[in-house]
Amino acid sequence: MKRKVLAVLLSAAMAFSMTACGGGASGGESSKEASTQENANELTVWAWDKAFNIYSIEEAEKIYQKENPDFDLNVVEVSWEDMQTQLSTILSSGDYSQLPDILLMQDFAYQKYAMTYQDLFTDLTDSGIDFSQFSEGKLKTSVVDGKNYGVPFDNGTEVAAYRIDLLEQAGYTVDDLTDIDWDKFIEIGKDVLDKTGYSLFSTQAKSSDIIMQMVQSAGGSIWKEDGTPNFVGNKVLEKSMDVYKELFDTGVMTTANSWDEYIATFTSGKALGAINGCWILASVESAEDTAGNWRVTNMPSLPGIEGATNYSNQGGATWAITTNCKNVEMAEDFFAKTFAGSTELYDTILPGAGALSTWIPAGESEVYSEPQEFYGGQPVFELITEYASKTPAFDVGVYFTEANDALAVAATNICSGADVESELKNAEDTVSFNMGN
Amino acid sequence: MTNKSTKIISYAFLIVVSLLSIFPLVWMIIAATNKSVDVVAGKLTFGGQLLENYRNLMASQDVWRFFWNSAKYAVITTILSLLVCSLAGYAFEIYRDKVKDVIFVIILMTMMLPFVALMVPLFQMFSSMNLLNSTLGFLLPSISTPFLIMMFRTAAKSFPEEIIEAARIDGLSELGIFFRMFMPTMKSTYAAAMTITFMNAWNNYLWPKVIMTKSASQTMPMMISSLTSGYTTDYGMLMLAVLITTLPTAIVFFILQKNFAEGITGAVK
Repeated sequence: MKRKVLAVLLSAAMAFSMTACGGGASGGESSKEASTQENANELTVWAWDKAFNIYSIEEAEKIYQKENPDFDLNVVEVSWEDMQTQLSTILSSGDYSQLPDILLMQDFAYQKYAMTYQDLFTDLTDSGIDFSQFSEGKLKTSVVDGKNYGVPFDNGTEVAAYRIDLLEQAGYTVDDLTDIDWDKFIEIGKDVLDKTGYSLFSTQAKSSDIIMQMVQSAGGSIWKEDGTPNFVGNKVLEKSMDVYKELFDTGVMTTANSWDEYIATFTSGKALGAINGCWILASVESAEDTAGNWRVTNMPSLPGIEGATNYSNQGGATWAITTNCKNVEMAEDFFAKTFAGSTELYDTILPGAGALSTWIPAGESEVYSEPQEFYGGQPVFELITEYASKTPAFDVGVYFTEANDALAVAATNICSGADVESELKNAEDTVSFNMGN
Repeated sequence: MTNKSTKIISYAFLIVVSLLSIFPLVWMIIAATNKSVDVVAGKLTFGGQLLENYRNLMASQDVWRFFWNSAKYAVITTILSLLVCSLAGYAFEIYRDKVKDVIFVIILMTMMLPFVALMVPLFQMFSSMNLLNSTLGFLLPSISTPFLIMMFRTAAKSFPEEIIEAARIDGLSELGIFFRMFMPTMKSTYAAAMTITFMNAWNNYLWPKVIMTKSASQTMPMMISSLTSGYTTDYGMLMLAVLITTLPTAIVFFILQKNFAEGITGAVK
């Protein structure tokens, strides 16, 4: 009996190992075949988010196919985390032939990749894509030394969304929270907290996103001209830290430990609002039972800072054509006729995915002014497009992630009583150290 | 009486510990039946969203293809790995000499090399051999692991030499001794090794995410990573995907549970 079992096991092992080799060999062959007979009109795309980015580029593909029926996109879903590992492995191995033709890149990482791997992105300056039609603040992320290396995609314009039914209980309307500064915001927030028990908004602990958003809204920068960190003695950053601490101390802002907890704070929890990039609205809308009770407005501005605005940005991504692209002309033409030239595309992906454009002509379309039931009939997309046009440009720099992490540590320490100046000094030293200075 | 009270205390302790360890699993199953908004709110009762989550998951991801990929990679890796490592471990112990001992130490030393350090050169090698996106590419780096070789070598130590002598006298070849004598005796070691290898292969994430650059060759852990990377995450759907991903390793573990415990403690019958 045992022998039989053993015999079966062994032959299974052999069979499997043979299929393994066979599979491997045939896999190799088929990929070889694919590369020799490869369809020059098929471009490979790496992107994440099926419901948003991938949906959008597939819609663009459909539009482009009307004129170019042979055109084909092969979209590979790769999460942003995975893509970073893949890119760094491919780039450090020097085997660029494994890169896709087109890839999506987070705005905050664009400069880093463009500067570190100067032969990763194709220069698109003379590609025929009209870059003057993109909003300036967004365009800045993909420009290096005056050259365009990317096609701007989605909009991360800052919005503030509040539950008006809860605000009303404390005697406020959304107008009271519009065009105000953080001082006024905290004053109202304390009153609302007393009367209803709700905080006005929430943030994720150990993240400095809201601080970065404040700095950007006031037209500030966290970098000096030469690219070194500008934390110590930075008036805008210091003020942002002060405001952050006060928001935390008064309980006007509540903190969540993780992203899902953060979402829960405003869908079913302790906060009656959310202040973040406009893509957060999709999560707000997941609380279906509160439909009609939400209103969108702008964020508070930094008090006492000249040039401070109520507008900022969080997130967003940009398309890039890699240097491994086998048909650069076609890829450029594809972008020129879709993301940089088709109102039809943006009219489709706005209602379909909530993807707001940074391509200015798209904002004039009627789809943008349609009232949104969830927000009591507010023309939310039109509002956001208007905010976007007023958002100050922001230099994310090459070491944005490092700065973000260091400032998050500083913010946490400041909230537990540490001194602002010395914490900013520590953060600056940390970033300088990580930059190798 | 004292005996009874210690029993009560130890049972109470065990119950608490088992509840603690089983809770994440139970919560995962509950979450898979709820809406995303209820999952983040921490709802602890079953909901009626399971079918909806399933439909959404199937609509957004090619789940069964990724599942088949993961299963194929994991099963082949496990079988080959067991065969290669047990042969090596057996040989290191039975045909022991000074040179082999040195080689064994060198093999053990490779355990100290983190995989991340090997990734770029491996990628270069596999790319030039045209092995990206292939099953062979997935399993080659993980077929032979120092840990398994060591495990089988330790097991071979307790394999009585008299059996080998007797088998040789009876005219069995050396390979025959291995396959007919050693393998059946070491069933529990094989079971333990199988569980560990299967789990590692199934959960392997770093290597496949570097070499599997085509949609068609991606695995379950990569799919889960994709599900969490959007602007909005559907947590109900995500937990269902995690549940589907967990099942095979759970099943393998439950089937081999008894042998696994024996194999780990090194019991020989």
